[in-house]
Amino acid sequence: MLSDRGFYGPYGGQFVPELLIPALDRLERAYREFSGSDASMTEFNRYLEDYAGRPTPVYHARNVSEKYGFTLYLKREDLLHTGAHKINNTIGQALLTRHMGKKRVIAETGAGQHGVATATAAALFGLTCRIYMGSLDVERQMPNVKKMKLLGAEVVPVDEGLRTLKDAISASLKDWVTNVTDTHYLLGTVAGPHPFPEMVAFFHAVTGREALEHFRGRGFLPDFVIACVGGGSNAMGIYQGFLDFPEVALIGVEAGGRSLGPGDNAATLSLGTRGIFQGALSYLLQDKNCQVQDVHSVSAGLDYAGIGPQHSYLKDSGRVRYESVNDNEALQAFHELTRLEGIIPALESSHALAWALTHADELRGKQVLVNLSGRGDKDLGIIEQQNREEL
Amino acid sequence: MRGIYLAGGYPDAGTFKKCFNAVVKNGFDFIEIGIPFNDPTADGPVIARAIQTTLESGITPANVMEEILSQRGTTIKKYVMTYANIIYSYGMREFSERMAGCIDGVIIPDLPNRMAPLFYDSGFDIPIVPFATLESRESDIEVMNRSTSEIIYFIGVRGITGSKSDFTSPELLDKIRMIRENTYKKVIIGFGVKTADDARQALAIGDGYVVGTEAVLRQQDPAALDRYLQSLNHR
Repeated sequence: MLSDRGFYGPYGGQFVPELLIPALDRLERAYREFSGSDASMTEFNRYLEDYAGRPTPVYHARNVSEKYGFTLYLKREDLLHTGAHKINNTIGQALLTRHMGKKRVIAETGAGQHGVATATAAALFGLTCRIYMGSLDVERQMPNVKKMKLLGAEVVPVDEGLRTLKDAISASLKDWVTNVTDTHYLLGTVAGPHPFPEMVAFFHAVTGREALEHFRGRGFLPDFVIACVGGGSNAMGIYQGFLDFPEVALIGVEAGGRSLGPGDNAATLSLGTRGIFQGALSYLLQDKNCQVQDVHSVSAGLDYAGIGPQHSYLKDSGRVRYESVNDNEALQAFHELTRLEGIIPALESSHALAWALTHADELRGKQVLVNLSGRGDKDLGIIEQQNREEL
Repeated sequence: MRGIYLAGGYPDAGTFKKCFNAVVKNGFDFIEIGIPFNDPTADGPVIARAIQTTLESGITPANVMEEILSQRGTTIKKYVMTYANIIYSYGMREFSERMAGCIDGVIIPDLPNRMAPLFYDSGFDIPIVPFATLESRESDIEVMNRSTSEIIYFIGVRGITGSKSDFTSPELLDKIRMIRENTYKKVIIGFGVKTADDARQALAIGDGYVVGTEAVLRQQDPAALDRYLQSLNHR
C-alpha cells in the first residue's frame, strides 16, 4: 500500500528528531533501490522460501467450521520459521541493512516475536543485534528472551513507563539517535515514521498475495478476511491481497483487554483520537491532557497505544471494520482452536479467531479467512497463570 | 544569547516559580520551559524523570501554560519546549491563540523542520524553532531560513538530552561554520553544555547556548540552582 510522500490521507509523516531525517531519507532511497531491483527481490524471495518456509498453507479448519456454522480457513503464518509472520519483515530489512553497508541492527519487541525474528535474521546475515524489550514483557515472555540470547542478540530490559512495547520503542529511538551512523533501526510493525509503515507493509505483502492466489485457484474469494491488530503488520500483510476486492469484508480485531475503560485495553482505533506518537500521526489512545494512555492486553504483542497510519486511513475510509474482543474471548478462542484442530495459536492471533467465533451468527454459511499470524508456545506461561487464577 | 531550560511545573508550582526567578535574576537572555509529555523520546533520564514526576503529581500541560502566561510581564524571552502531540492534540490554532504574544517560539524535538508546515497550515502562528544537527545539509539550512524564528537550535551531539558534546571536534566545528555561513539567524547550541567552560566554548563558536539537564538536576533546590547559574556567568 503506497503512501503519498509519507502520508495516507492525513495520517503518517515523520515525527522524529531532526537528527534522524537524513537517515530516514537514506533508508527510503535504499528501500526504493532494493524493492526495484530484480536481483534483490529474487534474493529476498529465495530466503522467504528456502529459509523461512514460504509459501504457508491455507488450511480449512473443518472441526471449527462444523461446530460454528461457517467455513473457516487459516492462513498458517504460525508455521513460518521463528513461529510468526514477523520473519518476512526482518529478512527484508536485514538484507536492506546489508545493502546500506550497516553492520548493527536494533529492534524493539513486545511479545518477543519480532525480537526473535530480528535476532534470527541478524545471526543469518552476520549483524550485531540489540533488542529493547519492556521489563514486564521480559517477565511475560521468557522463552523468547532465552531464544534471542541464544541467537547472539543482546536483550536490554527497559524499566521506563509501563515497561512494555511503547517504552521499548522509545528506548530504540534513543539508541538510534545516538548510533545513527552505523545502525539500522529494524522496526517491527507498520508504525513509526515514513518510510517504515510503507516498507514493512511491502515486506509482508507476500501473505496477502499467497492467500489471494490460493482462493483464486479454487474459483472464489473469502467473504471475510480477519486479522488481529496491535501495531498492524500482520493485518496489513493479509489485507493487501484483498483491498481491491470490495466484495471481501476486511475485519481488524483489537485488544479489548479487561474492559473498554481507560487503561484496560489497547483498542486504539475503536476508542482513540488523532494524535502524534512515536513517529507518526495516527489514531492514539490518549487522555484529555494529551498524554499517552496506559494500555493492557493479555497478549503482549497487542498492547500498544498507537497504530500504523494505514489502518487509521482504512478505518476512516470505511474499507476495514475495526472492532475489539476482550481477554477472555481471546483465551477461549485459544483453547477452542487448540482442542478442536490441534493448533496452538498465539494469543495475538487468538483475538482474530475470537472475533469470528463470537460473530458466528453473522458469519453463518460464509467463507471466512483468519490470518493465524503466530503460534502460541511462547504464551504457555500466560496460559498456565490464567488457569491457576481460575482454579 | 544564553538560555536555561526548566521542566515546567517541576517539582511543584511554587518551587518552579523560584527557579524561574533565579534565571531572570542571573541575567539570562531566554528561558525554555518544558511542557510535560509522557513519551519524551528526545530526553535523557534526568529530564525524563522530572517530566514523569511532574505528571504523577497531577500537573497538566494546561497548568504549565498558565504558569508561563503568569510570567507574561517579565522581559526575558520565553520559549516553550514540548512534544508534537501536546500542541497537536490541544489544538494547534488554540495553543497558538492562547500563547501568542507571551512566548517567542516553540521548540518541538519530534517535529523536524520538514513537518513544521503541517502546524503552520493548521493555524499555528508562533515561530517554530528550526533544528540544525551534525547531519544537516546545506539544503536543510535553506529550509530553516524560511522560518520566522530568530534562532536556530543546534544539536551538536548524536544523542538525547544530557549527552556530552565535544566542542573541539572538527566535525562539530565544521558543521557550525557551514551553518553560520548559510544563515543570518542566531545559532544556539543545545545539548551538552554543562560547565562554565562549556558555556565559554559554546559562546566562542556559536551565538549562544542553552543548559538543560544540569539546571533540571537542581530544580528541587532553587538556591543550588542560583549558585549554579552564577557559576555559568563566571567568564
